[in-house]
Amino acid sequence: MRAVVIKDLTAIRRSKGVLIPMITVPGLLLVILPLLIGLAARNHAAPNVDGILRSVPEGVARPITQLPEAQRLVVLVNGYLLAPLFLIVPLMVASVLAADAFAGEKERSTLESLLHLPISERDLFYAKVLGAFLPAVLVSWIGFVLFAVVVNTTAWPVMHRVFIPTKLWLVMIVWVAPAVAALGLGVMVRVSARAKSTQEANQLGGAVILPLIFLAVGQSTGLLLVTLPLAVGAGALVWLVALVLATGGARRFTRDRMAAAI
Amino acid sequence: MEHAAIETSGLTRSFAGRPAVDQLTFEVAPGEVVALLGPNGAGKTTTIRLLNGILQPDSGTSRVLGLDPAADGDAVRRRTGVLTEAAGLDDRLTVLENVAIPARIRGMSRVDAERGALRMLERFAMAERAGQKAQGLSTGQRKRVSLARALLHEPDVLFLDEPTSGLDPEATRDVVGLIATLAREHGRTVLLCTHFLAEAGRLCQRMAVLQRGRLQAYGRPEDLAARLWRGLPVDLDLGGPADDRTLAVLREARGVISVEASLDGAVVRVEARAAVPSLVANLVSREVPVYGAAPRPPTVEEIYFALQEQEESVL
Repeated sequence: MRAVVIKDLTAIRRSKGVLIPMITVPGLLLVILPLLIGLAARNHAAPNVDGILRSVPEGVARPITQLPEAQRLVVLVNGYLLAPLFLIVPLMVASVLAADAFAGEKERSTLESLLHLPISERDLFYAKVLGAFLPAVLVSWIGFVLFAVVVNTTAWPVMHRVFIPTKLWLVMIVWVAPAVAALGLGVMVRVSARAKSTQEANQLGGAVILPLIFLAVGQSTGLLLVTLPLAVGAGALVWLVALVLATGGARRFTRDRMAAAI
Repeated sequence: MEHAAIETSGLTRSFAGRPAVDQLTFEVAPGEVVALLGPNGAGKTTTIRLLNGILQPDSGTSRVLGLDPAADGDAVRRRTGVLTEAAGLDDRLTVLENVAIPARIRGMSRVDAERGALRMLERFAMAERAGQKAQGLSTGQRKRVSLARALLHEPDVLFLDEPTSGLDPEATRDVVGLIATLAREHGRTVLLCTHFLAEAGRLCQRMAVLQRGRLQAYGRPEDLAARLWRGLPVDLDLGGPADDRTLAVLREARGVISVEASLDGAVVRVEARAAVPSLVANLVSREVPVYGAAPRPPTVEEIYFALQEQEESVL
């Protein structure tokens, strides 16, 4: 199983078509955007966010309105509004890579050679899942470290303290983001096994992944408002669904089905 | 008694209700090269997939090296090597990685896999491209890398699916030579699917002809020829087309079945090879110059097309 994961990771590392979106999208969301916000907040003419605060849930607005006015934009945007983006990153990276897992092998005419190797169906399936899961989590974690560095550095003149990560942020990054990646994978690997090409897998999977993205975006800000045990519980629920999908996928995955579709 | 390396009995597999392989029964002895012939869609690739356990049969059984591919697929695949019709190289990986990573999936350590891969690439004259991505390789080079990959773990049985398709004549000659060496010197059992009948004729001891998934004929080419035609053709070189008198002499000779004039002399079909010396002596005694007499068993190509005609006449 390890060798299949190594093969996939090596191939990802060598493929500019996969690597560039994997770096640029999280780079834009997690580095460039907070950098611009941080710089805007340092400016004396930083926009007043009181109007926005009136339209966000009271649970979010109350602690922010208690802060000095200069800190409000930074905390509102970097502390809360960018949170959904963190869940988009693992979901997006995992989905892109998982779409390629089997459909890409079919497209490159490498699937048959792979099926002729002595590796159990279960190991092959989980190797493909891991080959997408590891980069997705790695990109999310590296992205988060860069995000924290950028946000704390640019906001330092305003905040005078390290305000990210909070405990809830850590739960999001360490527990919820990998769960969301696994959820995307649970869906996309199964789609990829049925699709004839990566493009078809992306199209078919998009119909499933997009609602998941909206759900993640909708819920993640709220997740930062709940208590630590609730956030852990929400992550556990996502993990559970992801594991059910993955184990179900592994059970249904057979060489015969794959070979018959070549 | 030595067990067959490959044996199938009533092996059947359908796709969407259409049989791709239908009641296939044959066996291959250890160290034998068998050509699996037939038009596109005859079931050759499906047969390989069934024998290597990547497809499950609807009915029937098969054994490869005494193992059931349907139940012990991984055990079979550990001892077989497959060259798929598309070379199946990942363009994003280097030539070395394309050979070494499958060896690692087979359980070799990284060091052993890379060392073995380099050794095989040297054997197939691809070592100097080991660090290059597979993307820029020609079709012939891809086949060679794919063969290196199929052979690295020294399999007992080789399944070769169209090993020379897309190759230029020089590369074809190289690959055919390699397969012949593998069978002759290394005693490997080879099941060779091919459209190239001359290549099959050069390599195989027995041939199986598939038609719409069914085994139409199976055996040694000379045995199949004996079933199709009576006697043995002999090319007589008389320095030019045989005249009527010479043709009449040939027709009356003992052991001759039929006679046809040819550009160099005549093609005479005799009952047996033993009839040739007396035939030549008879011509020489009548002062007909004989420059050569060569018994010519039918080629695999002639046998294959005769079988095709037979099949068409049945339909």
